[in-house]
Amino acid sequence: MTAGINLVLVASAALFAVGAFAVVARRSAIISLLGTQFMLLAGAVAFVAFGRFGLGAQNQTAAGAMALFVGATAVTQLAVGLVMALLVYRETRSFAVDVDRG
Amino acid sequence: MLLIGSLPQPITSAPIVILIYVVLILMVGCALASVVFRDLLYAVGAYAATMLLVAILYLTIAPLLLFAFQLLVFTTISAALLISVLRQSSGLMESRVGPLSREWMIGAAAGGVLFAILGVVLAATSWPVHVCCALPGSLSETLSTTYVVGVWTMAILLGSAALGCGLLLVTATPTLPSPRGGGRTRVPSSGRGRETRPR
Repeated sequence: MTAGINLVLVASAALFAVGAFAVVARRSAIISLLGTQFMLLAGAVAFVAFGRFGLGAQNQTAAGAMALFVGATAVTQLAVGLVMALLVYRETRSFAVDVDRG
Repeated sequence: MLLIGSLPQPITSAPIVILIYVVLILMVGCALASVVFRDLLYAVGAYAATMLLVAILYLTIAPLLLFAFQLLVFTTISAALLISVLRQSSGLMESRVGPLSREWMIGAAAGGVLFAILGVVLAATSWPVHVCCALPGSLSETLSTTYVVGVWTMAILLGSAALGCGLLLVTATPTLPSPRGGGRTRVPSSGRGRETRPR
């Protein structure tokens, strides 16, 4: 039994699918933001997998740097998105993205 | 550029392989639970667990600095942001989750099992030194020499986001519709989509 690039990429794809499902199917802005986080995280995990096991192994630290940048971007996006969701909540008392404000 | 030499071999050490399998399965499971849960506190907890599991995965296959950033910076900031938003909106006290509820006990048991496996792996192998620190070069050196512009862009991005979020939260005031304002308001107990106009 080994752990190689295929295993990590399958998990990354599953994580991306879960995130896409959250963005498409859920009405809550918080859950949708978490879904985008999962999608970005899946990309970072794939970067790291290619850097460790795949063709990117010639320059392994580059994959780590990319994952770092992706993580920072994800945190920034989460911060801005959460503040926007909070502002919407203060107006409508709901996190639903399709709330009818009349 | 053509690849010179052979690709790195997959990890074959049995305890680390088992740990990677467990971490990946739990990671996808926690992510799915975070999406499925109706209670936002459960969802945030599952999300934090997912980030923690990704950090453990990074500890296995990535440089140590990435693990430290994922665990100490990204996971902490994300969880703090989500908890603070919940505190300012629906409130954590209104949650039906008690400190000794069955769900918390199951989560604690799962976390205990994971840490037990981690302890077994640490005791049975020379990991994480054997795996993660065998990578050529260091990530911090690469960041400080090759990706200087990227690091500064990331710093400016994070600082701008923090400043903008702070300003938005400080300056914005709640603008709930007045009950006598004449606008339409939603009746909470009347189901979805039904609205009424106050007289």
